[in-house]
Amino acid sequence: MRTRTWFLTVLMVFISVTVFAGGSTEAASADGSWKPTKNVEWVVTSSPGGGSDIFTRTITDIIARDKLVDQTIVINNQTDGGGEVGRLRVSQAKGDGLTLLTFNSGDLVPMVTNTPNRLSGFRPIAIMAVDRHLLLQGTSPRFASFEEAIAEAQSGGRVIIGGSKGDDLNLYSMMLTEFGVTEDELVYVMFDATSDALTALLGGHIDYCIGKPAASDQYIKSGDAFPVVAFAMERFGGDLADVPLLSEIGPYNNIESPIWRGVVTSKATPDNIVQYWSDILQQVSETETWDKDYIERNMLTEYFLPWEEATAYMQAYEENVLAGL
Amino acid sequence: MENLQMLMYGFTVALSLENISAAIFGAVLGLIVGALPGIGSLAGVALLLPLTYKFNPTTAIIMLGSLYYANMFGGAFSAILINIPGDGPAVMTTLDGFPMAQKGRPGQALFTSNIASFIGGLIGMFIVIFTGPSLARLGLNFGPVEMAALLLLAMTSIGWLLGENPIKGIVTTAMGMLIATMGMDAVRGVPRYYFGSIYLMGGVPFVPLVIGMVGFSRVIGLMTDRKSAPPITERLHYRDCMLTAHDFKRLLMPSIRAGLIGTFIGILPGAGATTAAFVCYAFEKRFKSEEPLGTGAIEGIAACESGNNAAAAGAFAPLLALGIPGSGTGAVLLGGLMMWGLNPGPLLFTNHPDFAWGLLASLFLANLITLAISWVVIPILVQVLTVPIALMIPVIMTICVVGSYSVTNSMYGVLIMFIAGIIGYIMTELKYPTSTLVLAVVLSPIFETDLRRAFLISGGSPAIFFQKPISCVLMIAFFIFLALPIIKAMWKRMRSSKGGV
Repeated sequence: MRTRTWFLTVLMVFISVTVFAGGSTEAASADGSWKPTKNVEWVVTSSPGGGSDIFTRTITDIIARDKLVDQTIVINNQTDGGGEVGRLRVSQAKGDGLTLLTFNSGDLVPMVTNTPNRLSGFRPIAIMAVDRHLLLQGTSPRFASFEEAIAEAQSGGRVIIGGSKGDDLNLYSMMLTEFGVTEDELVYVMFDATSDALTALLGGHIDYCIGKPAASDQYIKSGDAFPVVAFAMERFGGDLADVPLLSEIGPYNNIESPIWRGVVTSKATPDNIVQYWSDILQQVSETETWDKDYIERNMLTEYFLPWEEATAYMQAYEENVLAGL
Repeated sequence: MENLQMLMYGFTVALSLENISAAIFGAVLGLIVGALPGIGSLAGVALLLPLTYKFNPTTAIIMLGSLYYANMFGGAFSAILINIPGDGPAVMTTLDGFPMAQKGRPGQALFTSNIASFIGGLIGMFIVIFTGPSLARLGLNFGPVEMAALLLLAMTSIGWLLGENPIKGIVTTAMGMLIATMGMDAVRGVPRYYFGSIYLMGGVPFVPLVIGMVGFSRVIGLMTDRKSAPPITERLHYRDCMLTAHDFKRLLMPSIRAGLIGTFIGILPGAGATTAAFVCYAFEKRFKSEEPLGTGAIEGIAACESGNNAAAAGAFAPLLALGIPGSGTGAVLLGGLMMWGLNPGPLLFTNHPDFAWGLLASLFLANLITLAISWVVIPILVQVLTVPIALMIPVIMTICVVGSYSVTNSMYGVLIMFIAGIIGYIMTELKYPTSTLVLAVVLSPIFETDLRRAFLISGGSPAIFFQKPISCVLMIAFFIFLALPIIKAMWKRMRSSKGGV
């Protein structure tokens, strides 16, 4: 009886492994005109419903609808190790062009901060969109203006800023340098997501909150939060055109930590395959659906960079982050 | 009364054929997903979400809302029958549910959980409908400081969990806290205690840990000692499952109490249904019950099941009124809202009344549907207990492996499950309680994060806990609860010494 139970156990484990771990293997690659000949696995290191997931599904929907790629693209939400496992796996994947990874500034920051994995482990394919930060204050602020808050921090007081992980943290360290204050004067309270930081702002538990235009829009319109500064080199458009830049409210330089959303693949991938995917993504970025359903809805700046420029852009970003460590 | 009118309007939306079908589909799926350990509401909603991207938003949210809600019902099934909690909130249900089933009353245990869930959910929904937006604003007052104080207060009741030997209980609580410290530090964003493994960088996943600790450890126990849990030999008839009037009386008051507290916890940012079940159970412990809680008491099942459903309903208040997720599942639903083209936030009720009220109305439907389905399936489900152990072992084992795989989509979860199972088995053999470890894993990260955020805000001064009115009241209650047993003991001693003289 005991033997039978163990046999069943082993069989079960074996079946699970084969059923779930089955994926793509090698692919034929011809010179110049490469095309995927098998299913493509697209790794997303956040859960379904998260920002990266929506980004990826919008792209794959457009690809499927316009039949840009003959093969099926399967999205794999791999969240182990805070996403590091998925990132490492893609960086070490075969260069057969059948494994893609959604890769954002918010992924790069923790990756280079906490692991030895670097951008050099990947081949950037494209940057699809860029977002920038806003600083918000609540309905009953402790300071009359952000200038006053900076003055308070500079004179040794405590000003509390909330924000999420990843790229918000990068902006915060730029703020410390720009205002010449310490971590104990301008205090950063890290939350799991921007929505949690906004919750704390709405409840009056923090002084300011770093947010993105799309996530803050509703609270600004309902009068629950006010944008005080735009962290960008030039003003936002639309409803946020009135929000001043940092250089407009005091003797400071404008700072920005662009939040980019991109796609990469394994470092072993040859140029022609990278070029193929870069072209496909360019076609996606030129569709009306992309503009309307993604860029406009998320209040992003339309910003497509093909692989060569995307590589240079991501490298510059990584250097900036590494310099701040 | 405007709210009642809007609710009626919501019903006209929810009662359209496609929305009813969506609610039924969501409820059935929710029951199944809830009953299957490891999948849980978070993964269930997350798995279904991509399929709904093309739906009309109202239909989509009705389906997901029903799934989320029905999941709270389903979670209790496996907790009661095979001692494997379907998801986090059901961990508390195992404490009384499984012993009650072992006492030969599995049907009553399931019905208790089912009716208590219904009552808790109903209370939660009514509170949300009549006070929705204003209550959600009240929840905003609970920042890091208040949440830390609230958890501190709830923990004063943890003593009962420690079991017969408090030292063993404290040891396992400490083990749980140590496990919870592994992974990403939520306040500074740096990994800790990950021993160079990138898998551990994300921490030890909770659900595989629970499945292993509670479920797989039991499989090992069954394999080594087949006689430890003899199956029920005679067939269980429908009437053997029914609750008596006395049973119903026992479950009513705990359900109502837990319904009120659970709704409140659900509204608080970041608390969630697991915390609600824990707090409600801890609170119930302060009341009299016919049998002691933890030995298969109806009151215990009622408190945590009513509490977690009320919290699930309560979590919709901040989600709809402010666009703030009250739980992990809420966060996924929020992502869904954006995908369907709606902007979650304070203007949702005004801009999309059909969506918001349709969802609330559909929750009532889901509550009724799940109740009805459960009435039909419970008498069939209890037959699980008549299955011979030789067959149960591979079945439970399969459930454990698949459940823990589905959480992380990788074998990492399965590995954690096996390790936790072996440790859990050794602990059970040595009579160390596993429930304290599991609860410490859930609650200590919330407490730690809130406490550290509170100290960041105050610059390290504990005075902040007494400067804010809400936390001040909670802290005073905390000290009273701490001092009460000591004062009681002193009082007794004084009286006995007087009597002696």
